[in-house]
Amino acid sequence: MSIRNYGAPSPDGLITVATPVGHELIGVKKKAAIQLMGSRVWGRFNPNHWDPLYAAETGLKAPIQTGEMSSAYLAEMCVNHFGRNFFSNARMTCKYIASTYANEIISTHGVVREKTPKGAGFRFKVEIWAENSQGEKKTVGWVEADVGT
Amino acid sequence: MSDDSPDLKPATDSLRPMTEIQIRQTREFVEGLSSESQTYWDMVSVGDELSRDLHITPELVILYADGVEDYNPWYEGWRMDQWHIAGTSPFGAAVVPPLLVSHFVLSVQFDHTKPFAIGSIHTLHDSQIIAPIPIGSTVRIHTKAIDKFIRRERRYVRHEVTVTDAVTAQPYFIETRDILSL
Repeated sequence: MSIRNYGAPSPDGLITVATPVGHELIGVKKKAAIQLMGSRVWGRFNPNHWDPLYAAETGLKAPIQTGEMSSAYLAEMCVNHFGRNFFSNARMTCKYIASTYANEIISTHGVVREKTPKGAGFRFKVEIWAENSQGEKKTVGWVEADVGT
Repeated sequence: MSDDSPDLKPATDSLRPMTEIQIRQTREFVEGLSSESQTYWDMVSVGDELSRDLHITPELVILYADGVEDYNPWYEGWRMDQWHIAGTSPFGAAVVPPLLVSHFVLSVQFDHTKPFAIGSIHTLHDSQIIAPIPIGSTVRIHTKAIDKFIRRERRYVRHEVTVTDAVTAQPYFIETRDILSL
């Protein structure tokens, strides 16, 4: 393996067929940095995501992250735990229940809620969410992925 | 400065340092967006279908991955020293992050030939990740507006989305998503 692959997730992820219901995933932690929120990758055509003045005029106390950023953080956690299994026949549902404001620290979380026998393995269902450092949930949802099938 | 006070507007440079030239350019940019915009609710009718092809270049993947600080080497089809590379992942060459195409759906469901409906907020997605997308693929993103509804005095538009390989028709991704409109 090339040295440039150091830091890659385990190809099969951290969850195995033996992982029990109730298992808690280790998430990722990010800061809602205004410089990233204003990246052209998100378009910059919605100033609510990067302009404090426009955000205030629309009733927001600060610019808010685009929801795609929160979903990407949750997906990064899922790739760490499901590896290649998160790229095929997987499902992810996210509901953005509260805004993520500039400068908040966001952490992702997950708990295995179900595992259903499928083929030689299981289909896992994991409750997922992202929250700020005060424990206020911002994004909630669930994912499904096959392991060992 | 308190951002919580309704009477005290934050400064353009309250979250990152700017000179007066940067502030002026920012205000001109925002004013230009606002003057051209319609609400998303008014732009979309149920049944509207749009489709575009997106070439997922290695640089586009880096742009997206850096935007969310995801440095997984599976997504590297471009490196600063070597430029275009095949990369490595459990699928062989480098692949696209699983939710990248979900983000670029925005550039299809929001008709790109019209000014963007600013003030819209993405509120929900239900995504099925069918197969890994090789970096360098061209995908066809198809959106269909399937519902417009009002819930708790807020206006929502719902779309169904399919993403397939533009050459082979391999299905990659299916999604249902809601946008909250001004």
